[in-house]
Amino acid sequence: MTTDATPPSTPPSPSPGIPPSPPPGTPPASPRAPKGGPRALALQRRRHSAARFWKQYRTHRAGLLGLAALAFFALAALTAPLTVGSDVAGVTSAPGRPLESPSGEFPLGTDQFGRDLLGLVVWGSRVSLLVGLLAAVLSVAIGALVGITAGHFRGAYATVMMRITDWFLVMPALVLAVALATVMSRSLGTIVLAIGVTSWPTTARLVRAQTLAVEARPYIERAKALGGGHWHIMSRHVLPNVMPLVLAQTTLMISSSVLAEATLAFLGLGDPTVVSWGGLLQDAREAGAVSSGDWWYLVPPGIAIALVALAFTLCGRAVESVLNPRLGVAR
Amino acid sequence: MNTQDQHGRGRPNPVKGPRLRGPRLVAAGAAALALSAGLASPLGPASQRAEAKESGKVLTVAVAQSVDSLSPFLATRLVSTSMHRLTYEYLTNYDPGDARAVPGLATKWSSSPDKLTWTYTIRSDSRWSDGEQATAEDAAWTFNKMMTDDGAATANGSFVTNFRKVTAPSPTELVIELKKPQATMTALDVPIVPRHVWEKVTDFSEFNNDKSFPVVGNGPFVLTGYKADSYVRLKANKNFWRGAPKFDELVFRYYKDQDAAVAALRKGEVSFVAGSPSLTPAQAASLKGEKNIRVNDAPGRRFYALATNPGARSKDGERFGDGDPSLLDQRVRNALFLAVDRRTIIDKVFRGHAVEGEGYIPPRFSTYFWKPSASQELAYDPTKAARLLDEAGYRKNSDGKRVGKDGKPLDYRILCHATDPNDKAVGKYLQEWWGELGIGVKLNCLDNVTDPWLAGTYDLAFDGWSVNPDPDFVLSIHTCGALPATPEDTGATDNFICDKEYDELYARQLAEYDPAKRADIVKQMESRLYDLGYMNVMAYPNAVEAYRTDQIESITTMPRKAGNIYGQDGYWSWWSAVPADSGDSSGSGGSSGDGGSTGAVIGVVAGVVVLAGAGAFLAMRRRATADDRE
Repeated sequence: MTTDATPPSTPPSPSPGIPPSPPPGTPPASPRAPKGGPRALALQRRRHSAARFWKQYRTHRAGLLGLAALAFFALAALTAPLTVGSDVAGVTSAPGRPLESPSGEFPLGTDQFGRDLLGLVVWGSRVSLLVGLLAAVLSVAIGALVGITAGHFRGAYATVMMRITDWFLVMPALVLAVALATVMSRSLGTIVLAIGVTSWPTTARLVRAQTLAVEARPYIERAKALGGGHWHIMSRHVLPNVMPLVLAQTTLMISSSVLAEATLAFLGLGDPTVVSWGGLLQDAREAGAVSSGDWWYLVPPGIAIALVALAFTLCGRAVESVLNPRLGVAR
Repeated sequence: MNTQDQHGRGRPNPVKGPRLRGPRLVAAGAAALALSAGLASPLGPASQRAEAKESGKVLTVAVAQSVDSLSPFLATRLVSTSMHRLTYEYLTNYDPGDARAVPGLATKWSSSPDKLTWTYTIRSDSRWSDGEQATAEDAAWTFNKMMTDDGAATANGSFVTNFRKVTAPSPTELVIELKKPQATMTALDVPIVPRHVWEKVTDFSEFNNDKSFPVVGNGPFVLTGYKADSYVRLKANKNFWRGAPKFDELVFRYYKDQDAAVAALRKGEVSFVAGSPSLTPAQAASLKGEKNIRVNDAPGRRFYALATNPGARSKDGERFGDGDPSLLDQRVRNALFLAVDRRTIIDKVFRGHAVEGEGYIPPRFSTYFWKPSASQELAYDPTKAARLLDEAGYRKNSDGKRVGKDGKPLDYRILCHATDPNDKAVGKYLQEWWGELGIGVKLNCLDNVTDPWLAGTYDLAFDGWSVNPDPDFVLSIHTCGALPATPEDTGATDNFICDKEYDELYARQLAEYDPAKRADIVKQMESRLYDLGYMNVMAYPNAVEAYRTDQIESITTMPRKAGNIYGQDGYWSWWSAVPADSGDSSGSGGSSGDGGSTGAVIGVVAGVVVLAGAGAFLAMRRRATADDRE
């Protein structure tokens, strides 16, 4: 593994390092840049680092497997309106009899309304993946914001923010999410919010640590001396440096968000009229499928949840090991 | 309007208890607990069973509903009032065959010619479990306490609002004087408590009767132990005047998860499962094929209805809540119900374990059962529904949504019980049927529907009540007199219906002592209720329950021919249950459970394999990345 494993951690835009902006026609100190100035230069460097990233990612077999699984699920979810159509969730037009076991016509059997379970699992992937993604993005966004500001400002503000983070960290996230989902109206937005606001503390801690490390570097001091304000430093120097970490964290967070969504839906806190994997499990439980041995109602959504969570975890781990932030910090 | 609610909410009302008033203890988080309870239960029962075996034949019943209070003055839920049926005597009881009034603590009763003075003869062969004689004095004290102490009137107070005076001239004679005639004097469902024990209670609104055991009573069973959401234990009363129960002990054990209860039944850990409110069709179907298990699928005493908010208001005329104003139009209400295909609900949601809804009172009570005439009936007819909506001024716009004259689209919130799968299933159908009409539907499924219900913040709601042999109570909850006094109060009203014509009929039936004439008036009330369209009965769900025939040889249903076992009007089922001779239930129980659950086993194995695979994969992955790091 090469030592500069954190390629994007160098500031992408060279401009802040150059105090009196020279005339645009003369690109400063960049002999290899063909033309177009600093912007093209940055673009080129990003392209390079992306290529380098991919080259290293390719060496992780499990990561590739996870990526392939993800691509498969994403494809299934995106093309669902064409393959199964929204009619699959309709109860009045259900094609089969209730709780039919798997057959040629219904490869995964039917649910309590006589709907095709294969279609429902495909259709349910849309909601499960969407909620997982949104919740993860929300969670990581909150975590990054808290982490960067706490790492940057330090002092009383940081102490307060970190104590709040600690409070959320020790609070059992599921209990908190259940409480939130109970008091708010039942909708997808509620679930996204409930997962998002309860799962950010880990990200905040990670990002704060990385921020502290980045801010200790000499060029931050230089930027400050040249008049760079708080916003400038956080957005131009710190954020790009914590971005890889944030990306890896997001990928990992999605899998836990998908699981959390399924858990909440299974506990009956989701919108009962929306088809999702956790909701299917909840339907199965309420219909008494567990005690009556109708396994085809329980197993497919369960396996789908496990596979997606696994795929995201594999990808996240691969990304993490490629962008290993510890090496960057140690440097 | 003191005659409005003769029957208090203390009536065994299995649906109302859990569905409306009683804040469901199955709260959000408790769903998680339910899972763990289901997992933990196999351990608990084993030990309890072992210790119970020593004392003789034990009948174990799986229940889910939490006890609200063991005090007869406070309890309103089905599980609690069932306990009181078992541990206290009432003046009268209902015959298990035809539900007519039969002797309870009173052996006979008569009324004066003006129908205002009732004299009950109290039996002299009933003793309290501490050895004291049960007398008319106890009954008089119980009624007087309810008439004078508001705390004691919490559950059954409405029974006595029309009482002028209750006296006990001798230990075997009880005299009740009324202010106005009251048709329900042989259906007073008030547990009579021992005066010498209850005299010591200071605050009736706080005392829950669950501290010292055994609880002194004179019913067929004596309450010997209770732990909230864990168990209720009762011992047979060998000196019960009607004869001792055949089982020595009766244990109600809690299974918050219905699947866990069914699994316990398969294993023989429990003898009886009622389900809440009943077993699901899938569970019933899978249990039907089991050896030694009998599924009792009988006409229930419940109705399952769609209630519309008629604009919540209190007795002082103040309006509150936010029910959709369009629902005040009878055409709109009727149109909504016209678009509900009851046949499909019976076939698909209940899968045949219910009867199509017609009048307000289920057909099981044939005296009072009424059905709409052909011209009156709101049979499934979406075209007619669309026409009615057009007439009412709600036409479809370019998006296919129906909008009122003010341009506001019709969007309804339906209040549903998150813990009742039927609500959600029917809700999905409503969403599609009404969606085709151009009406938006939002299912608002809550664990605790009581708050929005009492506040009137709903448009439509799934509603259900258990009907007693005497229908007075379920009729009283739709009268103006049942409205809350002020918006802050809680009234006995079901969903704020207040109709003058209905109220007049109600007062007439209450004062009518001739059964045939009274039934006729009750039917007119049902007809009025049907036309108003505030209470649309969709189905009469069956009681679907199951028991082990190798543990219970026979048990009385009510009505005897085809009826329910759990939640009867009386103690007949548990009192009459005969233990099976064999005794070794564990052996056969264990083997019979295997057949049906093979699929589940396969599923679990598949799940474990996938998880193990994932785990192994992650472990490999971890090692790989660890190598990278070093």
